[in-house]
Amino acid sequence: MTFDHISRRQVLTGLAALGTLPVLSSRLSAAESFSGRSLVSSGFGGSTMDIIHKAVFDPFDKATGAKSTQVPMQSAAALARLKSEAGNPQIDMFQFSGGQEDAAKKEGLTQPLTSVAQLNAIPAEMKDPDGHWVTWAVIGEGIVYRKDKIKEPPRSYKDFLKPEYKGHVAFPAITNGYGMDFLVMLARAFGGGEVNIEPGFEAMRKLKGETIFKAASDLPSLFGQGDIWIMPYDTGNAFKVQSSGLPVAFATPEEGSPAVNITAVVAKGAKNADVANAAIDYMLRPEAQIEIARHMRWTASNPNTKLPDDLASEVPNVAQLAKLDRSIINEKRPEWTERWNREIAR
Amino acid sequence: MTATGDLARQKGRGGPSPAVIPVLIFAPCLIVYLVLFVWPQLSLLTTSAFDKGQLSGVHYVRFLGDEYYWELLGRTLLLGVCVTLITLVLGVPVAYVLARMQSRMAALLLILTTFPLLVSAVVRSFGWMVLFFRDGIVSNTLQALGLVDHPLQLMYTLTGVIIALAQVLLPLMVLTLHGVFKSIDPDLEFAAMSLGASPPLALCLVTLRLARSGIVAGSLLVFSLAISAFATPGLVGGARANVMATAIYEQTIEMLDWPFASTLATVLLVFVLALSLLYGAALDRRAKSESVA
Repeated sequence: MTFDHISRRQVLTGLAALGTLPVLSSRLSAAESFSGRSLVSSGFGGSTMDIIHKAVFDPFDKATGAKSTQVPMQSAAALARLKSEAGNPQIDMFQFSGGQEDAAKKEGLTQPLTSVAQLNAIPAEMKDPDGHWVTWAVIGEGIVYRKDKIKEPPRSYKDFLKPEYKGHVAFPAITNGYGMDFLVMLARAFGGGEVNIEPGFEAMRKLKGETIFKAASDLPSLFGQGDIWIMPYDTGNAFKVQSSGLPVAFATPEEGSPAVNITAVVAKGAKNADVANAAIDYMLRPEAQIEIARHMRWTASNPNTKLPDDLASEVPNVAQLAKLDRSIINEKRPEWTERWNREIAR
Repeated sequence: MTATGDLARQKGRGGPSPAVIPVLIFAPCLIVYLVLFVWPQLSLLTTSAFDKGQLSGVHYVRFLGDEYYWELLGRTLLLGVCVTLITLVLGVPVAYVLARMQSRMAALLLILTTFPLLVSAVVRSFGWMVLFFRDGIVSNTLQALGLVDHPLQLMYTLTGVIIALAQVLLPLMVLTLHGVFKSIDPDLEFAAMSLGASPPLALCLVTLRLARSGIVAGSLLVFSLAISAFATPGLVGGARANVMATAIYEQTIEMLDWPFASTLATVLLVFVLALSLLYGAALDRRAKSESVA
């Protein structure tokens, strides 16, 4: 009898009997086995992608027999790819960090999630009412600063304008999602907000002479050689820079930490839509979310996740995050970007 | 596609006639060129000329009527010119010496000059970052030497991009010029000197003049690569040293405004084409007028 002739059930019972996969037999008894199937997902690249792979896709593959791969691309590029391959997607599942899931749904590029049992546990504001996307993790943004240069932890977005930090501030370009959130939070700090962005631009004009960077990959160099003391960024990257040995810390601003939702969608017409749905269900489980919090300092989107005490103190609670009106921001993005290019970066 | 069909029919009639052979040889290149260059370029042009399904010049009007984009184009062309000049000034002596060198080391040295090309643009840019930051080696050295009195930030500036691009494009200039210098008979210089020209004058009057085609080729190569470079301006230049290539990326990927991105690409292509033709023609005219005189 060749391996091909062994039925799926025989393999599963055999393995379960051997005691190699107790988790599989107990947890996935009702779930399908995807042995021989593959899942292609977009990923965020770099160490983020590797950590997500280890924390989520590796255990998922082990439990189901699927073979998952992540293709690195930034969220905006991922949406462009999804759009260009509409109808015949080469990538089954997309992960977004910049609110692209909304545009993807509007353009009819996604399909509703099916048989994702964990979806019921996720708060309503973290999933699409029609089930096209779900937030599987949240990144808290705030102030990242050099502990050795700034003794008193910064408290507010207004602190960026303090004269003693002049020449030592860096902030991301508006094309980086955090740059956009920084603009909105500055506006909020100075009496405006999503609908009245003017105070944001006014405050940012005062930072015109400061360092503007584009990618998170510049962070270690900026803090290491760039003589930068303070910048708006997130818990995850602050943790990474910290792990590389630099004396940086994360501070939650009193205006609240804007949250970036890490979402997952299944591409319309995806060849492995069933595998993608099962993977998303896996990502939403508390055990997977704890791993993500442990290795990335990302906030869990599933309220049933109980973080161990050592982690809970370093990862913001999802209820404490500021919520930005992403639909206004997305609508205004082209206008604000054009304006930013002229008034701030010029 | 039609070309292959014709060829197949030809073959069916019992082998290609001698007249078809050049076509046969040329066909693969032509097909690749048509499919991978002409067709995408045409579709780019079409994308830029339509607005909401209507033939329209609105995207071009937006570009032409906005000084921000003129500034962007100007910065891009300035980048190209500066990088070309630097590589010419640095490349001509190196290429000349390497071409005239009798030592066995010459080949090794020529290979050494190409080393920057072997490093990926991303890795190279990260290398420049280490050097260019305010607290980096370049700034600290210049301060220690007393050449600048405050920390110098080359990172996220156009100057930084020019330096980084000149470094990687220099080998292309050297290689192009090396071949040309190698083909010029050294005896011509000796002839000029025996007729009374000093060595520098002989170099200028004879060698450099004969090398003009190489200078044109090298300059065009470096110029076109510099203005279309994306990774280095993106990583070293950042938001402030925005050039056409990074703006095209931004419009395509961040703003999803493909028609305007196509417009930027088309405008860049037209300007580069025009500049290259003018440059080539100017040098060509000079060569002709001199040969007549």
